[in-house]
Amino acid sequence: MARYVLRRILLALPALLGLVLLTFVLVRVVPADPAAMLAGDAATPAQIAEIRARYGLDQPLWQQAVTHVRQVLTGDLGSSIFSGRPVVEEIGFRLPATLELTFVALLLSVVLGVPLGLLAALDHNGPVDQIVRLLSVGGLAIAGFWLAIMLQLVFSMELDLLPLRGRMDVALGNPPRFSGLFLLDSLLAGRFDMAGNALKHLVLPAVTLCLPGLASIARFTRSGVLETLQKDFVLYARAAGYSPFRLATIYVLRNAVTVTVTQVGLLFGALISGAVAVEAIFDWPGLGTYAVQAILAADYKALLAVTLVVGVVYAVVNVLVDVVQALVDPRVAEQLK
Amino acid sequence: MRLFATLLAALMLFATPQAGAQQRPLVWGDTLPATLDMHAVFDVPSQFVLLNAYDGLYRYQGNDLVPWAAESHTVSADGLTWEFKLRPGIRFHDGSTMTAADVVYSFQRLLALKRAPAAAFTPVLTPENVTAVDERTVRFVLSQSYGPFLAAMPIVAILNPRVIAPHVKNNDWGAEWMAANDAGSGAYVVNPANYQARVSLDMARFPDHFMGWAHNPRAIDQVRSRPVMETSTRVLSLMRGELDSTDSYLPTDQVERVDRNPRTRVAQDQSMRVFLLRMNNRKAPFDNLDVRLCFAHAFNYEGFNNIILKGLVVRNAGPNPNNLWGNPAGMEPYKFDLALARQHCDRARAAGAPLGRDIEIHVQTELEQTVQAAQMFQADLRRVGVNLKIVPNTFAGIVTATAAANTTPDMWVHWVSAYFIDPENWVGQMYDSRFHGTWKASSWYSNAEVDSLLTRARTSVVQAERQELYAAATTIIFRESPDIWVYNTVNLRGLSRRVQGYSFSPVGSGGELRLMSLSE
Repeated sequence: MARYVLRRILLALPALLGLVLLTFVLVRVVPADPAAMLAGDAATPAQIAEIRARYGLDQPLWQQAVTHVRQVLTGDLGSSIFSGRPVVEEIGFRLPATLELTFVALLLSVVLGVPLGLLAALDHNGPVDQIVRLLSVGGLAIAGFWLAIMLQLVFSMELDLLPLRGRMDVALGNPPRFSGLFLLDSLLAGRFDMAGNALKHLVLPAVTLCLPGLASIARFTRSGVLETLQKDFVLYARAAGYSPFRLATIYVLRNAVTVTVTQVGLLFGALISGAVAVEAIFDWPGLGTYAVQAILAADYKALLAVTLVVGVVYAVVNVLVDVVQALVDPRVAEQLK
Repeated sequence: MRLFATLLAALMLFATPQAGAQQRPLVWGDTLPATLDMHAVFDVPSQFVLLNAYDGLYRYQGNDLVPWAAESHTVSADGLTWEFKLRPGIRFHDGSTMTAADVVYSFQRLLALKRAPAAAFTPVLTPENVTAVDERTVRFVLSQSYGPFLAAMPIVAILNPRVIAPHVKNNDWGAEWMAANDAGSGAYVVNPANYQARVSLDMARFPDHFMGWAHNPRAIDQVRSRPVMETSTRVLSLMRGELDSTDSYLPTDQVERVDRNPRTRVAQDQSMRVFLLRMNNRKAPFDNLDVRLCFAHAFNYEGFNNIILKGLVVRNAGPNPNNLWGNPAGMEPYKFDLALARQHCDRARAAGAPLGRDIEIHVQTELEQTVQAAQMFQADLRRVGVNLKIVPNTFAGIVTATAAANTTPDMWVHWVSAYFIDPENWVGQMYDSRFHGTWKASSWYSNAEVDSLLTRARTSVVQAERQELYAAATTIIFRESPDIWVYNTVNLRGLSRRVQGYSFSPVGSGGELRLMSLSE
C-alpha cells in the first residue's frame, strides 16, 4: 500500500509542474499589465516602464517562466505585487476558510447523497425513487447564486435563524488560531460558544454548495446499487435469508459505493470551483474571493499561487480517494499486490 | 435557599445591562485596500485607512482643503519653494513626537517606492529637495512650479520611521511590514493582530490624537472594518444590523428600500466623480469631429440619468465635475437629439469616416452601470446606423490597452474620481497630450492650444489665473467633444441610523471616524 501511495504521489508531481507552466502562460498572456495598475492614474509611460523593469515584467516570457518555476521549486511563491506581502501568508489565511466550507459541503453531499441513492435504488421506480430523482434534477439545475440569495432571504431575513454572512459574529472575534478552521479551532480552544457560532455560519453556504454534489452522488449511488442488485451473489444472499436491510447496507452498498468514492474525488474539484460564487455571496473570506480580487487587480503572483495551491489540494484529495477505494474494495487492494 | 439566591443573582446579571457596559463597535462595511502601506496604494478604499490611521500635512474636509499636521504654509513668488510649519506636539501611536525629519523621511520613502501616490509628485520633486529647516519646518524645492502641489498634499501619509526601521529588509523601506502594520499618528490605531488584507481591519481610538476629542464626547472607541463583496449581501447585512455602513456606491435601485427600513438610511452627497464614455480620437472614425458630435448627441442622458439611475446623479456638462472651480460659465451640456446626431453622422460618412464597421465599446463587467450605459447607447446608435459592439473587460485590462493609441479601444466606459480636488485631476490630466499613454488621457485628444493653456494653469500658483486658464481650455475641449461626459456622481452610502456625524468628502468618500458617534 505504501508503495502504491508513493507511486500516486510521484505521478502527481509532473501534473503539478505542468499546471505551474500552463497557468503561468495563461495568466501572463492575458493583456493586463500590473505595472500600469501599480503606477497610478497620473503615471507616465516612462514611470510605468520603470515599475515593469523593477518587477522583472519586461523580461521575455520564457525567462519569466523559468524564474517562476525555479522559485516555486524552492517553495517561494513570491509576494503579491499589490499588498507587498508573501502570497503564502495571504493564502494561509484564506485556504482554511475554503477547505472548511468545502469539507463540510462534501460531508453533507456524502452523508445525505449515499443513503438517498440507496433508498431510491431499493424502491426502483417507486415513489421514493421519483422523489430522489426530482431532488437530483433540482439540485443540478438550480443556480447556486439564486439558491444562496433565497436561503439568505428566508433563513436570515425572514426567520432570523441563521447568520447572513461571514464565518463568525464580529462581536465574538476569531478563535485562537491552530488550523485556521474556525469550527475545529473553537473546539480545540474549548470555546463551545464560538464553535456553535461557526457552525451556524457554515450552514447556509455549505447547503448551497453541497446541493449539486449531493444530487450527483445520489445518482451515482443509485445506479451503482441497481447494478449490484443484478449480481448473482445478491440472489444467493437473498436465498440464504439475509434481511433486506443487512443485504443492502453491508453487501450491496459496499460493492456499489466504489464508483461513488471516485466521484467524490472529482466532486472535490467542482466544489472548490463552485465555492467562488458561494464565497462571494456569503462573504466567506476564502480562496475564491481572493482569486477574484487578484484577477480584477491583475495580481498575477497571487493568481498563480492560488491555482497551484488548489492543484496541490486536488492532487492530495485524489490520492486519498485512491487509498480509500483500495480500503473499501478488496479487489483494488488485490490488484495492487 | 442559598442556591436560589445565587441563581437569581446570576439571572439578574444577564437581565440587567451593566453600568458602563462597552459600546458595541462600529462595523464598517466599505471596501478595504490591498495593503495598509499608504505609500504603495492610492485608490478610494485606501482613503479610509489614510484618513483614520494617518495624518497628512493638509486634509480635505468636505470639499475644503484645511491645514492638518501643518499649521500653515508659505510659497515663494516663483512657486518653487514651499515651506510647511508643523503643529507642535503631534504624537505618533508609539508616543514619539512628529518632527520635520519624519515628514522628510515620508516624502523620501514615497518618492523611492514610486508607487501610485508618488505619481502626483515625481515630475516636480526629487528626494534631496525635501529638507528639514528646523524641528518643525519642512522645505520642498520643486524643479518647476506646480499649482496643484498643495491640493495633492493630503495624498501623503506621514509615517513614523522609528517603528519601521527594525523591519527594513533589502532596502525595501519596510514595505513588507508596512503592508500589514501601523506607523501612523491618526485618530485610530490599527490592531495588526486581527488584520487580514481586504477581509478585516480592527481599529481602536487613539486618545492622544493631536486634534483632541473635545469636539466629540461620544467618540467611537472600537471600529471593525468588514468589507462585504456582494452588493445584495451588503445591503441585507446593513438592514439586518450586522453592518453599520455599506460602501458609498449603493445601487440606485436599493436606495428606497434602505431608506424605508426603520434601522437604516442613505446618506446622499454630491461627489466629484465624473462618469464618461471615452472615444479614441486618434483612431478612425473618432478622428472626425462630426462622428464625435454624432455620438455626443446620440446618448440618452436623461433616460440614463433619470430613469435607469433614478435621478440619483447630476448631469455633468464637461470633464470637470460641475461643483469644482475652473469651469467656464454657462456651459450647456450636450443634449440627446437623434436628428442632429444623424446629421453629423451623415456628414462624417460623406467625408469618408468608416462608420460602417463595428465600433467596440469596452465595459467593466463587474460594474453594472458601465454595461447598462453601453447597452442603452447601443440601441440608440442603431437608430443612426451605427453598430456598437459591447466587449467585456476589466479595469486592469483596459488600463493596459490604453498605453498605446493603436491598442486603446474605440470606446470605453469609466469614472474619473477625485484623487485631489483641482482641475488638474480631471481636465489637466485627461486632455493634455503630455499624459498620453495613461488611462486618464486615453481619448488621445491633442490640441496644441489646449496643451499650452493647461501647462500654464499647472505651473501657475495664482488661483484666479489658474481658474481662467482651465476655463479657457475646457471651452475648447467641450467644443471638440473628445469624450461623452454623462454625470457627476451622487455618492450613496447606506448607514445604520445609530451612526451620527458621518461626514462626506469627494476624496475617497469620507468616512472620517473621529467625527462619528453611535447613538445607542
